[in-house]
Amino acid sequence: MNDEGTETPPPGEGARPGEGTPPPPAPPPPAEAPGAGEQVRIVINDDLERSRLTVGFRLILVIPHLLFLYVWGLLAAVMAVINWFAIVFSGRTVGGDLQTRFLRYFTHVDAYLYLAANPYPPFGGGEDYPIDLIAVEQREQSRLKTFFRAVLAVPALLLGAAFGASGIYGGSGHFRTSFGLLGAAAFLGWFVSVFRARMPRGLRDLSAYALWYSAQAAAYLLLVTERYPNSDPLVPDYGSPPPEHPIRISCDDDLRRSRLTVFFRLLLWLPHLVWLVLWGIVTVFAIVANWFVTLFSGTPADPLHRFISAYLRYETHNFAFIGLVANPFPGFTGREGSYPIDLSIAPPARQNRWKTGFRIILGIPALLLSSALQNAAALVALFGWFTGLFLGHMPQGLRNLGVFALRYSAQLNGYLWLLTDTYPFSGPSQESLAEPTAIPETA
Amino acid sequence: MSPPPPAVRRALLILGATALAAAWIFAALRLWRTTVPSDLPLPNLDPHEFFTDAQLDRASSYEAFLRVDALLGSLAAVLATGLFAVRGARFVRESAAGRIGTGMLLGMLGLAFVWLAQFPFGLAALWWERKHDVSNLDYVSWIVNDFLSAGGEFLFICLALLIVMALAAVWRRAWWVAAVPALLAVTLLFAFAQPYLLPDLHPLNDPALEAEAQQLAADEGVSGTPVRVQDTHNLGGSPNAEATGLDGSRRVIVWDTLLRRFPPSEVRVVLAHEFGHLAHDHVLKGLAWGGLLAIPIALIVALATRRRGGIYEPTAVPLALFIVVALLFVASPLQNAYSRRLESEADWSALQATHEPAAAKALFRRFTRVARVQPTSPGWATLMLENHPTIMQRIEMADAWRRLHPTTP
Repeated sequence: MNDEGTETPPPGEGARPGEGTPPPPAPPPPAEAPGAGEQVRIVINDDLERSRLTVGFRLILVIPHLLFLYVWGLLAAVMAVINWFAIVFSGRTVGGDLQTRFLRYFTHVDAYLYLAANPYPPFGGGEDYPIDLIAVEQREQSRLKTFFRAVLAVPALLLGAAFGASGIYGGSGHFRTSFGLLGAAAFLGWFVSVFRARMPRGLRDLSAYALWYSAQAAAYLLLVTERYPNSDPLVPDYGSPPPEHPIRISCDDDLRRSRLTVFFRLLLWLPHLVWLVLWGIVTVFAIVANWFVTLFSGTPADPLHRFISAYLRYETHNFAFIGLVANPFPGFTGREGSYPIDLSIAPPARQNRWKTGFRIILGIPALLLSSALQNAAALVALFGWFTGLFLGHMPQGLRNLGVFALRYSAQLNGYLWLLTDTYPFSGPSQESLAEPTAIPETA
Repeated sequence: MSPPPPAVRRALLILGATALAAAWIFAALRLWRTTVPSDLPLPNLDPHEFFTDAQLDRASSYEAFLRVDALLGSLAAVLATGLFAVRGARFVRESAAGRIGTGMLLGMLGLAFVWLAQFPFGLAALWWERKHDVSNLDYVSWIVNDFLSAGGEFLFICLALLIVMALAAVWRRAWWVAAVPALLAVTLLFAFAQPYLLPDLHPLNDPALEAEAQQLAADEGVSGTPVRVQDTHNLGGSPNAEATGLDGSRRVIVWDTLLRRFPPSEVRVVLAHEFGHLAHDHVLKGLAWGGLLAIPIALIVALATRRRGGIYEPTAVPLALFIVVALLFVASPLQNAYSRRLESEADWSALQATHEPAAAKALFRRFTRVARVQPTSPGWATLMLENHPTIMQRIEMADAWRRLHPTTP
C-alpha cells in the first residue's frame, strides 16, 4: 500500500519510528490487593491478540452475560440501598463481597464487549481475566459523605458518561448519554481486530483506562468505597512503555490556579481567540502548501514545518489555558518552552507519500476518537473551573486527563497538518509529566 | 553638531508646549461650535405646565436613586483601579506571555476589577428599574449580558495596550505622541465597522414610515441613509435609537421597543434627531473630541508611569489604567457638556426637518411618563452624569423653535 516499505498503522496505534512489528505484550504484573489509598485497581494482562470470529460476533456472544449482569445489577442496587442505611446509622457497611464481585464481573463483561480483552469472561467475576479489577470494600465510611453520596457522585457520573460508561448498572441498565470513549475505541478496534486479529495497543489502553474509571464511579455510587474516583490516566499500569511519537507533550504545571484568572478565564482568552483565528487562516494556506511539498518531495518544507509547528504549539498552550489544564496566560508566539504545557515536535522527516495523499481520509478514525475525548476535556474544564475558583488549585487527576486530551489532539493535528505521518497514539500513557510541587497559598 | 544648550532646549520645549496647547484650544473651540443659534431665546417654562405633581414626584424619586447609584458606581471603578494600581503588579506571575502579553493580561484584570466593583451598583440599578416597571430584564440575563459585554472592553484594552506598548518599544518616553493618532485610527475603524457588528437588525416593516424616513434623511442632507430596526425587546424593554457608522457604513438604528410604544409622529422626531447626528458628523466629532481629551491623558500617563519604567513595562499598566479611569472621571463634566451640545444640535436639526415642535414636545413628555426621566436635574447630576439636555431644556428648545416659526401649528 505504500512506497516506503513501512506499514500504515491502524487507528490508535502509534508506530515506533522504523519499527513495523507491534510491541510485545506486557508482562503480567502480580495481582496484589490495592494499596490503602487505592480501593479500586485495574490489572492489565492482555496480549492484544484477538479472535476474528469472536470479535465479529461479539455483540451477540455477550448477550448472556448482559442478562446475568442485569440481574446482578439489581441485587447490587438493593445492596447499595441497604448499605446506605447501614452507614448512615452505624458508620459501617454490612454484607459480604457481593458488591466487589459485581464490580469485577461487570469490568470483565465490559472489557469483553468493548474489545479490551479477548477471552469469553467467566460468569460471576472469576480471577485471572486479562483485564481484571481488584476492589476492596471500605467497611467504615463517613456518614455525612454517604448521606449526600448520590449528589456528590454527579460529577463523577458525568465524567463516566463521557468515557462511555458511567458505571451505573444498578438495575436500570447502563447509564450512557453519548458515544463516549469506550464506544469510539470499540468501534474502531472492531475493524482493526477483524482484519488484523489484533487490538491496537493505544485503543486497548484507552479502554482499560475508561473501564477503570467507570468501575471507580460505580464503586463510589454503590458505597463500596468513599474514595472519590480518580481520573488520572497515568495511575493504571499499562505494561511496557508506549511507542515513541514525534510529537510529545510535557507538563510542568504546579496545579495552583489563580482564582481571579479562573473566574474571568473565558474573557481573558478572547484576545487569544482572535489571534488563533487570524493565525489559523494563514496556517490553512501553509498546510495546503505543505501538503503539495510533502507529496512531491516526500519531506515537508522546513520553514512551513516550523510555522505550522509554532501554530500547533500555540493552539495547545491556548487550549491548556482555556481548559484550565494550566494556569498562566499564554504568549502569542507559540514559542517552545514558554508554557507549562508544552509540545516537543520533531524536525521534518521523510513521509510516506500514500499516507500524505490520503491524509484526511486516514485521519477520520482519529477524529472520531478525538471528538469523544473532547467531551471529557470539556468536563475537565468545567470541573476545573469550579475547583480552581473555590479551592485555588486543580485536582491532579483532572489535570492529567486534560493533558492526555491535549496530547492526543496535538498528535492528531500534527498528523493532519503534515508535521508527521505517525498516527496519534490513543493510549493515555505517553505524557511526560513533572512531579507536582506543593501548592502554595493563593489569593 | 553639538546639542543646543539647556536654556535653548527649555525655551524650545516651552514654545512647543505653548503651540500644542494653542492648537488644542483652537481645535476644541472649533468642535464646540454647533448650528444651534447662539442667541436662541429659550423660554423659562415651568415643568408643572407639562407634568402632574405625581409624575414629577415619581420621576424625581426614581432618578435620584439611579443618579446616586451611577455616581457611586463610577467612584467604585476609580477605587478599584486605584487598588489594582497598588496590588496589580503581583499578577505578573500569572502570565507566561512576554512583555506585551503580560501587559494585556494586567489590563484585562484591571477591567475585571472594575467589573467586580461596579457589579453591585449595576444590580441595584436593575432592581430599581424592575421595581418601577421601567425594565423587565431578568437578573440572570442581565448578569450574563453584563459579563459577556465586558468581553468587548477586554478586547479593546488588549488592542490599545498592544499599540501603546509596541510604540513604547520604539519611543520609550515619547510613545504618547504616536499613540494618540494610532488609537484614534483604530477607533475610527471600529466606528466604521460598528453597524455591521450589531446583532438582530432588520429593515423597517412599515413602508409608509420607511418613505417618511427617507424623506427626512433627504431633508437633512443624508439621503440614502438606511434605517434598521434592532430587536431589543428581550433586553429590558426601554426605548432607544442611535446613529452609528461613518461614511458608507452610516445607519440609523431604531429599537423595536420604540416602534412598538411610540406613535408615528414621535417616531418621526426620533428618526429626524438621529439623522441630525449623521448630518452634522457627530460620530466623527465625538471621536475627534475624544482624541483631544486623549492627548493630555496620554501625556499624564507617560509622565506618571516613568518611575515604573514607563508603559514599556507591563508592571506600569495597572497604574496607567488607574490614571486613565481617574482622569476620565474628572473629565466627565467636560465630556458630558460636549455630548449635550451635540444632542441639542440634533434636536434642532430634527425641528428644522420635521417642523413639528408639538410632536417633539409630546415625545419628550412621553420620556418622563414611560422611562421616568426627570424633567430637570440637580446641578451636580448635570455636571457629572447627564449627556443629554434635560427634558425641560428640550421642550424649551421646541417651544423656542415654534416662536421663531409662528405659522407652524
